[in-house]
Amino acid sequence: MIYKQRFENFDFTLLLVALCIFCIGLLSIYSATRTQEVELSKSLVTKQLISIVISLVVFTILVSFDYQKYIDFSYFIYAVSLFLLVLVLFIGRTKFGAQRWFNLGPFTFQPSEFAKLALVITLASHIGKRRVYDLSLSTVIMSILLTIPMMFLIAIEPDLGTALVLAAILFSMLYMGGIRLKHLVSIMLTGLVSLPIFWHYALRDYQKQRLLVFLNPNADPLGAGYTIIQSKIAIGSGWVFGKGWLAGTQNQLNFLPERHSDFIFSIIGEEWGFLGSAILVLLYFILIKHALSIYSRTNDSYGQLMVSGIVGMLAFQIVVNIAMTLGLMPVVGIPLPLMSYGGSSLIITMSSIALLINIGMRRTVF
Amino acid sequence: MRDKIFNTIINSLFSLLAVGLFYNQVIRAPLFMQLSQNNRIRVIQLSAPRGKILDRNGKVVAGNRVRLDCVIMPQEFIDKENGFSRLSSILGMPEDVLKKRFNRRLLNPFTPVVLAPDISKENAITIEEERFNMPGVFINANPIRDYVYKDAAAQLVGYIGEIGQKELDKLDRYGYRVNDLVGRSGIEEEYDNYLRGEDGGMQIEVDSKGKQNRVLGLKEPKEGRDVYLTVDIELQKYISELFGEGRGACVVMNPANGEILSLVSKPSFDPNVFVVPDNFKIKEILSGKSHPMLDRAISCAYPPGSIFKIAVATAALEERKLSTDREFICNGKFHLGNQVFDCWKENGHGPQNVINALKNSCNVFFYNTGMLLGPDLIAKYSQKFGFGRPTGIDLPQETSGLVPNKLWKRIKMGETWYNGETANYGIGQGYLLTTPIQVLGMTAAVANGGFLVRPHIVKRIASVDISAGSIRKLGISDNSLDVVTTSLRKVVEDDNGTGVKARVKGLSIAGKTGTAQTGRGTTHAWFVGFSPVDKPKVALVVLLEEGGKGGLNAAIMGGKIFKKAQELGLL
Repeated sequence: MIYKQRFENFDFTLLLVALCIFCIGLLSIYSATRTQEVELSKSLVTKQLISIVISLVVFTILVSFDYQKYIDFSYFIYAVSLFLLVLVLFIGRTKFGAQRWFNLGPFTFQPSEFAKLALVITLASHIGKRRVYDLSLSTVIMSILLTIPMMFLIAIEPDLGTALVLAAILFSMLYMGGIRLKHLVSIMLTGLVSLPIFWHYALRDYQKQRLLVFLNPNADPLGAGYTIIQSKIAIGSGWVFGKGWLAGTQNQLNFLPERHSDFIFSIIGEEWGFLGSAILVLLYFILIKHALSIYSRTNDSYGQLMVSGIVGMLAFQIVVNIAMTLGLMPVVGIPLPLMSYGGSSLIITMSSIALLINIGMRRTVF
Repeated sequence: MRDKIFNTIINSLFSLLAVGLFYNQVIRAPLFMQLSQNNRIRVIQLSAPRGKILDRNGKVVAGNRVRLDCVIMPQEFIDKENGFSRLSSILGMPEDVLKKRFNRRLLNPFTPVVLAPDISKENAITIEEERFNMPGVFINANPIRDYVYKDAAAQLVGYIGEIGQKELDKLDRYGYRVNDLVGRSGIEEEYDNYLRGEDGGMQIEVDSKGKQNRVLGLKEPKEGRDVYLTVDIELQKYISELFGEGRGACVVMNPANGEILSLVSKPSFDPNVFVVPDNFKIKEILSGKSHPMLDRAISCAYPPGSIFKIAVATAALEERKLSTDREFICNGKFHLGNQVFDCWKENGHGPQNVINALKNSCNVFFYNTGMLLGPDLIAKYSQKFGFGRPTGIDLPQETSGLVPNKLWKRIKMGETWYNGETANYGIGQGYLLTTPIQVLGMTAAVANGGFLVRPHIVKRIASVDISAGSIRKLGISDNSLDVVTTSLRKVVEDDNGTGVKARVKGLSIAGKTGTAQTGRGTTHAWFVGFSPVDKPKVALVVLLEEGGKGGLNAAIMGGKIFKKAQELGLL
């Protein structure tokens, strides 16, 4: 099915950059968990390696079929995703006070990760079908109505971070899909007005705590503020050249919580310094830029919309995650794509890169 | 159009990240590097053991022992209920007392709380064994001061306490720091500089729980230097026990070189109370009516009474106002103008020369002698014998006492000197005030043939001998001293001498008793003496506050001390 001509358009750089970032992540996960228990460290690195193998298999499958096929199945994918999100609330595994995972033997599956990609495909199908010059209000409202059940189900797990990622996907796809500015502004205003209600009824105490701590980390230096403070110290003390791999004292001496998952960037900052973190940010930038170049090379509106959603999703996660470790944004549990430990996140990120490459390969379909 | 805006948004977001990184990792890096160091590096003070204080035979008087504290690390003390109930049954203290104490002393989760200071070794072992059932509870071992002889040598040895702000302001340039222990009173204060060691420190790397990871640097603490006393602690203890509940002081000295063999002041206190501060007992000591912390041997001045007749007799002989032939007749009364002064013996002693007058302690004879000398000459000889100024003993808070003369009275009271006062001066009453150590200095000068020695209490510091004391010749003729010595020998050895109760079989002892009016109807009892008379090795002074007649308990005690000194090989 992969024609030679199409293969020439395969964006190897994109894949290479992604794998590069993954390798950096792997080194950091090793460094982060090494001190706790050698066995645990080995098993985490092994699990992450197994995840990348699975990711590459999924990647190959996704690249093999024309992405238009996925658009055709979009509502089925949406239904499956929604079903899984409901199911996880009943039979999911509870960890850190949140019910987000399915147990699959030694692995876990996080349906909210899958929901991100499902939403991208669903919205692409929904908006792409009706896209003329600008979007009708009914399309906009329908898109919002498609997003809200997913957001709601994820928010009550609770997983505020991923719920926000869905919002980012929605907004970037509506914007690139041609929403009228007055519609966009009214949505934003509505959101802003409903913020206090949201604060009162939707946020859990620990989430409120995190937001308050963002405003003043020293208000509770041993509790919720601890992570931000220690993360800033770790990154800042890395200086230009870093303390060296496995030599970060904040990391190795256990001052950083959640450092192999959401706060993995602070390890990069501490052990590899400004140089290392700048290179990592640059790699992410190249990744996003390549995705955007695929957008401009594609004429198909479904493809363009999917690229917009994926770029919105990835950029949002990257920027918010790194800004959070720097103390520039409140702590919301968002993994750093390709870096943070976690199979679901890795597989979904690689899948979205597969979609990007897929769209890039088949741009001359017409 | 929109893709360009989208592009710009992405570009600016990533630029923001780059700026944020640059700001934190380059511009603010020094701050964060410092913070990260503070995170991981702790400096632990290693306190240097204080030097020991030992007696002349090498017996430890003040040493160090290990104090075991039961300490709680609040952060790790999770199972409070179980922990407190176990500790309560091990330590034998009610649970709510422990809880209250814990809550009162809790500062923050990282600072250990001392729950029970100075627990027994058995309890400490039990707690160590059960540590795994009580996370956060552990035993801390610290070297602390141990005053082996408790109250027997309290004023002499002194005690230690945490340095106060005032002392710190004065001493911080000598390396004293907050929470340092500093010597208070006695040898501990006087020789603090030598006794205190130099604290060391250890730099350790800790993890986020404060657990030690590795040692980064170490400065070994330097132990303080040992101080060896001239004191014989067994004699000291014996004398201390002799006093019983009585108040007073006793100093024993080698008259040849000024080495103090014992220095006892009663009532006393247990200096250990200050080591592991027991506020209740400290309060009791500080507010005690009898002032147990006062060193009565050096810090209190008393009228010397008849003891002073030694100085007056010497003065009269030296000034040739008297010869051994000169007699005064004592009929029990001395008339001066229309004033009448009594002798202690109502019927009188009859004709007395200086030798008999000293032996009998005849007041009438010394009223006359006082009148012959006049106040200024008496004062001159008093000062020669060391009265009126500190002896220079190596202990803090020595007082001068008071030697009055005509000029002093005019300046101090704006009055002329009365003849009646001169008569009283002759028997050691009136304004005159002396400390027991000064009285001993005079006794020693008579014993050693006219030398004033500086009493001292420290023989050597570590291996450096510092005992060479100053000895000053008084310039009193041997003749006068012989007369006085002969008389003093009769005081003890004649069957009708006033100090006969101090007699010890097989020892030649010279002595003098004194019964000093206190002005409150009671009398202080004095006894001074030295032995053997020909080549004295031990001189002593006993003062019993409100102790009745000097010839009684004071003399008995003097005799017992001589006997004990002989047993201990000091004589």
